[in-house]
Amino acid sequence: MSVSRDDFSIAFRSALLQRGGAQKFSVLSLIFLALIIFFLDVYGAKFTKPVRGFLNDVVYRITFLASAPTRFFPQASKDLTSYFNVKTENERLKAEIEKYKSLELNVEFLSDENKNLQKILETEYFNKNLSNIVLAKVLVDKNSPFLKSIIINKGTRTGILKGMPVTHNNYLVGRIVETNYLSSRVLLLNDLNSRIPVTLDQGAQAILSGSGKNNPILEYLPEDYKIIDEINVFASGKDGIFSPGTPIGMTNLDGEVELFVDPNQLSFVTVNLSVQNAGKL
Amino acid sequence: MAKHSLFYKIYNAGPILLLYYLCISEVDTNLEKVFEIFTLNFQIILIYFWVLKRPEIMANGHIFLAGLINDVVMGYPLGISSLSYLIIIFVGTYVRNKSVNTTIASDWFTFLMAMIFSNLLFFSLLNNFSDLEFSYSKIGYNMFFTLFMFPIFWLLFNIYQMSLIGSRDA
Repeated sequence: MSVSRDDFSIAFRSALLQRGGAQKFSVLSLIFLALIIFFLDVYGAKFTKPVRGFLNDVVYRITFLASAPTRFFPQASKDLTSYFNVKTENERLKAEIEKYKSLELNVEFLSDENKNLQKILETEYFNKNLSNIVLAKVLVDKNSPFLKSIIINKGTRTGILKGMPVTHNNYLVGRIVETNYLSSRVLLLNDLNSRIPVTLDQGAQAILSGSGKNNPILEYLPEDYKIIDEINVFASGKDGIFSPGTPIGMTNLDGEVELFVDPNQLSFVTVNLSVQNAGKL
Repeated sequence: MAKHSLFYKIYNAGPILLLYYLCISEVDTNLEKVFEIFTLNFQIILIYFWVLKRPEIMANGHIFLAGLINDVVMGYPLGISSLSYLIIIFVGTYVRNKSVNTTIASDWFTFLMAMIFSNLLFFSLLNNFSDLEFSYSKIGYNMFFTLFMFPIFWLLFNIYQMSLIGSRDA
């Protein structure tokens, strides 16, 4: 019995303290070091924030470079396919131009009507001041089972602050949750930690909660409210951060919201700085 | 293969380079797009196998650094992945010290132990010291598929070891 206990303690100690050969550090010393780094980061000692920001900026840039081959091959195959389909593409584009020409008049009428309605609702026109919109490139889009986020190449240097809304083609994508000098992290709408006040077509208010899957869900709907297919969901702006009326997605038969923008296919996004300018954050 | 040849050194560095690349690049083993619940933690399979079979090519310092890089890229508090990887190293080293001959079945079982300890620490720290929320079902699926895929990668890594690096020195 005592021999087996000795064996256990020898193996245990050896696993923790063993060094030599390729192992320059013992597991125990590295565990202590990791714990110190962890608690310094969590409790935010004065010097850790700039150090973490600098680390983030450097690592995100390296990640962007390291991921170049994984982006190159799908893009190259896409380009090659489109090269061979150029004739069909040309015909399709011609037909689309004709269609858009006929829609042009309608668009002018609808945009005037939209502006008038927004005046009545006392909301700001989303693109009123284009200088408040910053275009950013998606640096890293690493798919994690636990955190749905992307890294963009604009940070505090451009005036980005935590909480600012991020859009793509005027559709809401998420909000800024971490800022560094040259980069920021965007929490996507489908992340489990994302909560956004929204309004539905018929005027019902709800909270759009990320489910960790592709489609977020609606919570805190009015009692007896039945979700039907194809109801548009917009940001209500009640939090003072998201512009009211920013389109988000459409409900489906499962009661989820299918986002207008696929969060896995983002290359460029826009950040609305007007929230900062309006002093809302 | 001659121990000092360039190819031997490259093959020897293969696992650690793969670990760094998985941590720093966009490449992930989260295949939710293919099958909604299919996610696996490839890094811990890689670390456990090589710590168990050839610890001299998986230096602790490198694994610690890879963990820090993983935290930065994934947006976790710094040091949490390193801690989780170090637990894997600890269990792997303990098993290696205690056992003479291992089989795929014994490695699979001890890997389950290592994964449980590592994930327990990882998610308890994340739950208690950060604002991040996570789904327990996702953790369950992730652990299940990581465990399920272990023998497949065990065989692949074994082939790599036998054909390119050679068996362990006596």
